[in-house]
Amino acid sequence: MTRPGYAQLQDVLLDADFPDLDLALRGGRHVDRDDAAWYALLTDAQDHLEPFYRRYGAELIHKADGYYYLLPTGDKLSRRTLGAGEMLVGQALALLYLDPSAVERGGIVSVEDVVAQLVAVLGSDALIAEFNPKRKRHDERIAQKNVRSRVADAVRRLAGLGFVEAQDGEKLRLRASLLRFAEPVRGLSAPAEALAKLVAQGEVALADEAREDTDQRDDEGEDQGEGEDQGEGEDPDEEDAVPDVVPEPARSGAAPVVGPRVIERSDEDLDEFDAELGADDDLDDDGSPG
Amino acid sequence: MSRRAPEDVIAAVAARRLSLDLGPLDVCFLVALYVRGEGAQLASFTEVQLEDVFAQAAAAIEPGAEIKRRAAPAIQRLRDQRLLARVDGQGVVKAGEFALSRLATGIVEFFLEEDILTRESLSVLTASLTVAITSVLAAARIASDEAAWRDGVLGPLRITIGELVAGIERRQRGLDLQQEDFQAEIRRLLEADWFGAIERCQGLLESTSATLRELNDMLLRDASSLLSLLHDVEELALGAGADEAAGAAHRLMDQVDRIAAWGTARQRAWSEYFQYVHRYLRDVVRLDPTRALTQRLRDQLAGAGQRFALTHAAAAPIRILRTVAPVRTKPPVVRPRAAREREPVAESTEDPQAALDAKVQASIDGGAAALSTVTHDVTAELPGPERFIEAGRVAGTVARLARARSAIERPWVAVGEDLVIEDWAVTRDARGGSR
Repeated sequence: MTRPGYAQLQDVLLDADFPDLDLALRGGRHVDRDDAAWYALLTDAQDHLEPFYRRYGAELIHKADGYYYLLPTGDKLSRRTLGAGEMLVGQALALLYLDPSAVERGGIVSVEDVVAQLVAVLGSDALIAEFNPKRKRHDERIAQKNVRSRVADAVRRLAGLGFVEAQDGEKLRLRASLLRFAEPVRGLSAPAEALAKLVAQGEVALADEAREDTDQRDDEGEDQGEGEDQGEGEDPDEEDAVPDVVPEPARSGAAPVVGPRVIERSDEDLDEFDAELGADDDLDDDGSPG
Repeated sequence: MSRRAPEDVIAAVAARRLSLDLGPLDVCFLVALYVRGEGAQLASFTEVQLEDVFAQAAAAIEPGAEIKRRAAPAIQRLRDQRLLARVDGQGVVKAGEFALSRLATGIVEFFLEEDILTRESLSVLTASLTVAITSVLAAARIASDEAAWRDGVLGPLRITIGELVAGIERRQRGLDLQQEDFQAEIRRLLEADWFGAIERCQGLLESTSATLRELNDMLLRDASSLLSLLHDVEELALGAGADEAAGAAHRLMDQVDRIAAWGTARQRAWSEYFQYVHRYLRDVVRLDPTRALTQRLRDQLAGAGQRFALTHAAAAPIRILRTVAPVRTKPPVVRPRAAREREPVAESTEDPQAALDAKVQASIDGGAAALSTVTHDVTAELPGPERFIEAGRVAGTVARLARARSAIERPWVAVGEDLVIEDWAVTRDARGGSR
């Protein structure tokens, strides 16, 4: 249903809220009813915006739980998969969202609640191992501090994506989009089947594919955070930052390239890429010729 | 009444080291005394009655415990904390009579009273307030002297109207507590009967929302008329120079403002809570009647099944480039250059010491017999600061050119208006000139 003000796509684009909303969606933001103005705009202009974003190789997804997000399906718009730590924290937040005790507080929880939830489900040792995967021996106190720091980082990144809303102090307001973390287990079908379907839709990537990126990112973060005062302000994602400048041909060309591209490629793609470059098949692990 | 600064109040309370230490038995004892007093219309209790009531309270808290021996320390504990006051004033002459203090009554009333703001109570309170302020306004219009302002305006403002406004605020706090209870009740209902609790939760939400909406409407409507009346009282008081009455009216206006703001804030907060719970009931509870999702998600988090990661868009934000300004080349930092060789300058060839010698000699030759006379002759034409410096040189020259003598205690002699020196007797050298 399009409201009279949005008779055409042009009317949507001219809406004062559209530029910010568009940038937020392209940045991975999940928009729900708490973002009242954006949500109303998306609801009213959904018919225009779905084909609009499809031209950029992305689907504007609207979930029945009451939130929107943009899912890149082609290679025109950059995409990213959440890291292992973010997935753990996201699932813990989703569990809290389902918990009646959070309902009592109007969906407000603290970072400590998230850590407690993770400990309750995984246990302390497993949790420390999850967040310190490369360490065979570790100082317990530093490892625990590292876990808290990693959880706080993950929460901050998830807040940037609209899964939670950071409140005053260390409080978080849980949002409906957290139910995305429960998608594989929500339906009546078996989780593996549901997961395969989600992978096919591009909603999720299996851990083996996503892990390489994540491990690399975690390693970089870990190397920086060896000491006591490891940088909480450091955003490991910034390590993945794409080039700043759109290449000149893309800017002058007719193709609607809107930003730098990070394309996830399969092994076949990488082989083809190597063949085009004439690279020797026998490369060492570090990429140097054997 | 002047208002005390918060830090003064806090400091005074801190200095008195006030504290309360009440266990469940103490509270129960206080409540039992209060209830017994109300039921039997007792203004005070004898020691025997206290022990009876304590036994009753202790039996409720700890059935079968040794009670008799513990009554005395419990009574003393309440006495020490000024919760129980002896009111007969007989000392050791006879057994005492005791009554609950205002502090004890306040504590008991907090636990017993159900003062919650309702449509009916708010309606009665605001109507009473309107009547009371109207009569105060009438008294203010005819008040002609200080006594009339004090008795007809200030007193009622502080006592009658102040109590009524405080009554509304107290009931507001009661409603706040009730809302917290409702929120905890919703949680308990969901935990006890997940899907079956939906109707009761919605009932609780809707009844509270309706109450808050009604209260807020009433508060907004009545607060403006109350403020208008209080404003008139304040204006009259200021016009008549009754500052205390004006201050009291102003404070009450602040309180009424606070009461109105409370209604708006609570309605907004409850509205957000309502929406959250409503969505939760609709999206989570209704769609998962058996509450299987929580368990499945817990299993997934614990590592069951294949691990996965959510995908999301991650376009880099648009970069806005700065305006490029040409870099200014700054000159290197160097020391200012100066000529190494200085041009020769013509200097006077006259020896200043020789000139001074000549002047001193001339003074001595002219018959000066004291250092003060020589100093006066030589420095008379010099400006003040230079005279001081020159006086020292004169003394040195006199000592060199003539014979100087002095007593053990040399007298201080003024030389002009701004100089005093220790004087010597001076005689010409026997050789008839300089030594």
